[in-house]
Amino acid sequence: MNALANEADAPKPDASNIGEPLIKVIGATKIYGGVHAIEGVDFDLYPGEIHALAGENGAGKSTLCKALSGTIKLTSGTTMVDGVERHFDNPGESLAAGIAMVYQETSLVPSMSVAQNLRLGKEKFMNRMRGLYIEGQVMLQTLNFHVDPALSVATLGAAQRQMVEIARAVYHDARVIIFDEPTATLTPEEKQHFFDLVRDLKARGVSIVYVSHALEESLDISDRITVLRDGKHIITAPTSEMSREDLVRHMVGREEAQSHYQQRAKDGEIEGKSKKRRRVLTVENVTMGNMVKNMSFSAYEGEVAVMAGLVGSGRTEIAKIICGAYKRNLFHGGRIFLDGEAIRYRVPKQAIDDGIVYITEDRKIEGFLETMSIKDNIYLSWLASKLGRGFLISNGRRNELGTDMTKRLEVRAPSADVKVNELSGGNQQKVVVGKSLVQKPKVVIFDEPTRGVDVGSIPEIHQIIRNLADEGVTVIVISSYLPEVLTLADRILVARQGRVVEEFVGGQATEEEIMYAAVH
Amino acid sequence: MAGLLAGLLGRFGKPSQELIVFAIAVACFIFFAVSLQGFASIGNIVAMLRSIAILGILSTGMAVVVIGRGLDLSQVSVMAISAAWTLTLMNGGMTLFPAMALGLLFALAIGVLNGWIIAFIEIPPLFATLATGLVCFGVGRWLLIDSVHAYPPKGADDFLFIGQGHLVGIPMPIIIFIVAAVFVHWMLSRTVVGRHIFGLGDNMLAARLMGVAVRPLIIFSYAFSAFIAFIAGLTMASSVASMNTEVINSTLVFDVLLVVVLGGISLSGGRGSIVSVVVGACLIGILLNGMTILNVNSDAQNIAKSVVLLAAIVIDRRLHPKDEETDKQGDH
Repeated sequence: MNALANEADAPKPDASNIGEPLIKVIGATKIYGGVHAIEGVDFDLYPGEIHALAGENGAGKSTLCKALSGTIKLTSGTTMVDGVERHFDNPGESLAAGIAMVYQETSLVPSMSVAQNLRLGKEKFMNRMRGLYIEGQVMLQTLNFHVDPALSVATLGAAQRQMVEIARAVYHDARVIIFDEPTATLTPEEKQHFFDLVRDLKARGVSIVYVSHALEESLDISDRITVLRDGKHIITAPTSEMSREDLVRHMVGREEAQSHYQQRAKDGEIEGKSKKRRRVLTVENVTMGNMVKNMSFSAYEGEVAVMAGLVGSGRTEIAKIICGAYKRNLFHGGRIFLDGEAIRYRVPKQAIDDGIVYITEDRKIEGFLETMSIKDNIYLSWLASKLGRGFLISNGRRNELGTDMTKRLEVRAPSADVKVNELSGGNQQKVVVGKSLVQKPKVVIFDEPTRGVDVGSIPEIHQIIRNLADEGVTVIVISSYLPEVLTLADRILVARQGRVVEEFVGGQATEEEIMYAAVH
Repeated sequence: MAGLLAGLLGRFGKPSQELIVFAIAVACFIFFAVSLQGFASIGNIVAMLRSIAILGILSTGMAVVVIGRGLDLSQVSVMAISAAWTLTLMNGGMTLFPAMALGLLFALAIGVLNGWIIAFIEIPPLFATLATGLVCFGVGRWLLIDSVHAYPPKGADDFLFIGQGHLVGIPMPIIIFIVAAVFVHWMLSRTVVGRHIFGLGDNMLAARLMGVAVRPLIIFSYAFSAFIAFIAGLTMASSVASMNTEVINSTLVFDVLLVVVLGGISLSGGRGSIVSVVVGACLIGILLNGMTILNVNSDAQNIAKSVVLLAAIVIDRRLHPKDEETDKQGDH
């Protein structure tokens, strides 16, 4: 154990891609509630290597990373570190072995200062503030970070928090740093800085596991790439032998995945659709604190309007304002019209009575009732709407609604009596959608409808959304995933810093144009 | 009966906590029945049920609040003050029903205040109900009641019937407990409000987004708990022909929570039923009655109660281990 730790202190910058792998995982399998999150995955990492993990949502990237970092325990499979078999029961143990994970949502303590966070978990018995700050300053400067160690973490932006988190990993003598979607919240300038840093870490002999949706980034920065699909290992190859097309093919397992929206554009199905339609929802100069500033847009009957943009651009907030979960500013808060009538809701119930439903991006937090079955979830939602006003419950109606909705949305479950949290991500999402559709809405707002959804279910959920629009429902979709934006949209709204800054007709925009509008 | 069986057997064939507690209760009953003479006699069983009736009635109200992910520590205080005020008013010359109406109004006022503070000011129920309980006690002792004890006036036979009378040979407190349990069970399992309370307790954010009127529902649950507390207060005052307001300094409210949690109503909300309250109350009744006959002192009785509670929860954890993912969610 001690010998291991000592070895860890001496970085080996020369040893790249030769000799023993630092980490070797054989046959990693993790089962959640009967569903394989990953199944028999092999993975290895050499000293001083950047190894990218690629795969679609739900392919098992995060599960593998969590297993490496000791956050979850594998159902079966062996993990070897330096050729010795190890079991990590908690993140502390893997950190002691030199494996650190930098999370999507940072895991710092917001109320503590930067320097205190750096030392968190390695405090001495007595901690002098001055020594702590000097040490923190030295640490941050060697990494070329411009962050004041005395600042409290709560005051830092996303990029700076991430820097602190990386510095923390380095401080803890990490030999392996796992990045899970590190660039999702960064601006292009910050991204460049981040890539420089990753290369710098590599030069110091740190091995890096890099997980990202952005394929270009992975191709740009990594030495080797491993592709996972549906929880299975597909291929591991040197990056120099992979092209973007290869990568997509391995990830999706079929060629035509991206051409779906191009097909629709070719058919001329999209263009000029909005002109003839009735305007249902109008948002005028809506403002809420710092998050939403003078946002204006409209949505039309039978149309899918997709709102693209970065995280934090006020998209979720405006959706929650429309559906009554948040309140806009009382003065100068702007106006919202539904069918020409001004509306201002205090609670979501009022919006639902008027036919506006919001389908959350965070289904585990606010999406469904975990102690209840699929049927009960759908029935309770129906009871809460105008349709279900009454005093006594009816089991007949409950069964009818539950079975109808599971059939209509093709929820794959042994029966409608199964609890929702025993389903896979995609089927959970379908139940959450079903809960809202049973309320017979006129306007549906989907917030990141395919986040954390298994690959097979994504086209099905897209089909559900298209069908809704074809039935004449007004649909607004919020999505960060550009292929999804292009697949679904009749019209594309791009939000940036609390405003809608650009509007495209679906099928006429490219990923680059949308991205450009979202960040500049 | 079918519903009761289904509740006891659990959904997945594994025994639920209710069933475990039920089994422990039956085991204790058989043990005492064999080892103690006269334990299994009708007279003793009726006495046993009577001794847990007040606790049981209070627990049905608490169950509604706890299933909605709340907590009502003011319950005993509301019970004591509203009943004592009713007696004081009757001593002042008021007839039974107006006095009861005013007492009920006072109880409901405290209940609505609880709900309003929790739903609108968003103070955690633990602190909110602790505070309102003290306010209720303070206001009652200062303005409404003359002394620590309140007695019914001479000749108030219809009042005394509530706690001392019999209906078809069964003492009234037991009848009131049964009626309360059946009514609350019906409300929770058969009415829309009941479904909504389960939704509220399971996930308030999700229930709100679904269109459940969360705030009125919270107010309702606390008002209902206060209503039940008033009923329990009348029963208690009538059965011993006095109301000792010092009861709020006893551990009664914790006994109520013990009964509620014992049967498997989770403090994190959304789980459990009234069946479990009845089962939990019976177990406590059997234990206390048996130990009292055995002359076990009250300290040892308290220890026994807590051991039973911990055992039931530990066994439940063993039989229903949480999934790693859901487990982690709860910690955040």
